[in-house]
Amino acid sequence: MIPMKLDENVNYIVSGQERSGTSMLMQILHGGSIPTAFDDLRPADDHNIKGYYELEGGKIINKLINNEFPISKYKGYFIKITAYGLKFLPPGEYKIIYSERNIEETLDSIEKMIRKKDLNREETKSNIIKLNNLIKNEIKVRTDIHVLFVNYNNILERPKDNIKKILNFLNLPEDNLQKMIDTVDLKIYHNTRTNA
Amino acid sequence: MEKESKNYTTISIPTPLAKKIKERIKGTGFTSLSSYVTYVLREIISSDKEENEEAFTKEDEEKVKDRLRALGYLE
Repeated sequence: MIPMKLDENVNYIVSGQERSGTSMLMQILHGGSIPTAFDDLRPADDHNIKGYYELEGGKIINKLINNEFPISKYKGYFIKITAYGLKFLPPGEYKIIYSERNIEETLDSIEKMIRKKDLNREETKSNIIKLNNLIKNEIKVRTDIHVLFVNYNNILERPKDNIKKILNFLNLPEDNLQKMIDTVDLKIYHNTRTNA
Repeated sequence: MEKESKNYTTISIPTPLAKKIKERIKGTGFTSLSSYVTYVLREIISSDKEENEEAFTKEDEEKVKDRLRALGYLE
């Protein structure tokens, strides 16, 4: 497989609401030999069989809030920062792939992960939608951020088209396209609603 | 139809509209059609942003933080 190289002046981020396909995106990028940075502080489990692909066990938002996360260290690599963390990105040069997913599936997945039925599901839904709108608007108006919006359900339906779009966004060739498509394991991502 | 360079994108608008805008900016501080259109679009986008920020309250933010803690994304 041909190793890919990203611009070392740019911070690359995979983002989106929690449980909306961010780990799958990291897995696709990693599968295509695109530089990604993650550790194994939070190991794979039933909720993310192939791993979380996160730094610091996913808890970098606290560090971003306190301006303690060494983001420049990760220039030229993709890292995962979930949506709320984007509020605290310092000025820089960023390329972000932002994933969205059918909201009911996201809620189902959250309930499954916290092993508890959400008794305020409609309230949680409204809260996620509000946060999503807020973050999307914030990143759209920042001149130091280039963003590509993707949809988890659409990636599962049409992986080739979506991955080509991602490679185009990153100005990368399609040499590893098939390897990237192969990482989309439909057996794992079966918990989707038909009305997505 | 769009043309893109590193920092700017060229967008086509109907000629009659462009003429009207040129008339409108005569005698104002806008030096070109592009600077006026950029100004108007920025205003629209930032007002969208303000509306959304107003809708997202401190209470909403606390709910987000509670969810992130439950999912292991925040200490």
